[in-house]
Amino acid sequence: MLDQYIPFVGEETINELFILSKKLAGLKVLHVNSTYKGGGVAEILQRLVPFMNELGIKAEWKVFKGDEKFFSFTKKLHNLLHLPSEKHISSDEFVYYLKITYENLKGINTEDYDIIFIHDPQPMGLIINKQKNQKWIWRCHIDTSTPHPQAWNFIENFLNSYDACIFHMPEFVYEKIEIPTYIIPPSIDPFHPKNIDLPEEEILNTLTKFGIDPEKPIILQVSRFDRLKDPFGVFEAFKLVKRKYDCQLILAGTFAADDPEGEEVYKEILNLTADEKDVFILNLPPDSHKEINALQRGATVVVQKSLKEGFGLVVSEAMWKSKPVVGSNVGGIKRQIVHGITGYLVESVEGAAMRIKQLLANKNLREEMGFHAKERVKHRFLIIRHLRDYLLLIIKILGDSSKYSTLSQLSA
Amino acid sequence: MNISFVFKSELWIPRYTGIRVYSLNEFIDALKVVDRFSIFYHMFINIFNYHNLPTYYTNSLSYWFYKNGYPSLAEKISAIDPLDYFDLEELRNALINTLEKSNNNWYRKEKYPFYFITAEREIIECGNIAQNLDEFIDGIRKSSINSIFYHLITSRIENKTIVNDYSAWLYNVGEVKKAEKINKLDPYTMTLYEIKEKIVKILEGD
Repeated sequence: MLDQYIPFVGEETINELFILSKKLAGLKVLHVNSTYKGGGVAEILQRLVPFMNELGIKAEWKVFKGDEKFFSFTKKLHNLLHLPSEKHISSDEFVYYLKITYENLKGINTEDYDIIFIHDPQPMGLIINKQKNQKWIWRCHIDTSTPHPQAWNFIENFLNSYDACIFHMPEFVYEKIEIPTYIIPPSIDPFHPKNIDLPEEEILNTLTKFGIDPEKPIILQVSRFDRLKDPFGVFEAFKLVKRKYDCQLILAGTFAADDPEGEEVYKEILNLTADEKDVFILNLPPDSHKEINALQRGATVVVQKSLKEGFGLVVSEAMWKSKPVVGSNVGGIKRQIVHGITGYLVESVEGAAMRIKQLLANKNLREEMGFHAKERVKHRFLIIRHLRDYLLLIIKILGDSSKYSTLSQLSA
Repeated sequence: MNISFVFKSELWIPRYTGIRVYSLNEFIDALKVVDRFSIFYHMFINIFNYHNLPTYYTNSLSYWFYKNGYPSLAEKISAIDPLDYFDLEELRNALINTLEKSNNNWYRKEKYPFYFITAEREIIECGNIAQNLDEFIDGIRKSSINSIFYHLITSRIENKTIVNDYSAWLYNVGEVKKAEKINKLDPYTMTLYEIKEKIVKILEGD
């Protein structure tokens, strides 16, 4: 399976994975998260776990089970870790969290593994079953830089028993963490329907299906209908661009049935743009991967004008399709776009409009930036790099004894 | 004399040091105490991670100065070539001296903080060994850019010399001109892919 990635990353890179993993042959690794389907974590584990097995590691993936009450609490915990609010964690909730954790210990036998990766807060309490000689790693996918103190205290009850933790970027790390903290950004998979190559015909068919003119330049933002993604700001920028450039705007996204705010934002932007024949507001079903892929490939310029963002991997998805991206200078967007090289980082509606115009006006610039954008993703944000980072982390956590392995030996 | 050349490669995983600074004053204080491989990380990351991209500055420290409105400091720090140093402590001192000579607002809280990261490296043997020039060229052709980075750049720190691994081996086998040409390659003006091509061309030349 890893061989399939040679056309993307080169044979040498895949060979290096095999060399690296020789040190880990036979090691038993367990990943635990809270869902087999849906969300970025499950998507990554569906690939990473078989990859590890192909490399000679005995990797398994188990899912932590909970009921509505449990997940309602962990959702609140997630939100409180992300941003402080008026809400509090009650002692009942703490007790219930422990109860569900103990129940899961019956189904998830963690004792047979050398390395245990726990993804996000839901299964974090399993650490209470940590054995001697085991290494436990907490993989946090949340921005915890400004947590609610009580939520952080809750996490800390478990975190200090872990051997290491992982965050997407240093900006997401709460400053009081005391255990070793590694930085591993998320990644995209070139074989996911969102990212696979598409025939030109399929791209054209998708555009025409939605009434979009393939001959006219397209500005695209793909995001949930959420105020923090600033669809209104994108529309304002489009209006500024439209004064001189005949172009179209697509805002493609989704909102869940249980997301009243998403529906409100969708209706508001729909009303606002009702008279604009060149604006397309597309509310797509959640599994519209190939449609989104086609829209990204058909776009002239991709925009991600979020006011606040987690990592925002949708930026890498567009970059992988050789598209220059105009993105806000926030969250993970600023870690993906190299300003002036793979796209532009902007601070305002006006800035976004100016950069979009520059790109619409200059095909060579688009091509050059698009080329660098794809190269950037190839090296930094593909799943192969993610896998390599995990292997390296395991080696470091185990205290590798290779004679070449430590820098301290280099300049001691 | 052993003339074997063992091809190796270098991989990094970044570890956050927990040091986050907001002002020039804090930045210099941190620079004085931070793990020396944090300096290594920030001075070399532009070659290591952005080896495939053109960049405005040669290191990530300079970007921080630039982003916070100190273009002159960014240029001065960018002009410090880490390849001139095989001792990371000397490199640290060069950075501190340059910063301390500048006349800036030391205590102003900057808009963007700087996060000190350190590199945890893993050096692996690639399985290729060269005994003569033909095998050496073949080995380089098969090398990843991480391997090129290791032999051309960081091997100097390991061996405490300003001569890179490739050139050291070439000197040993009497290929002095080729050794000198490779040692003069400037990794900041080319991508590592271009450097790899250039090395092969130099080796194939007369």
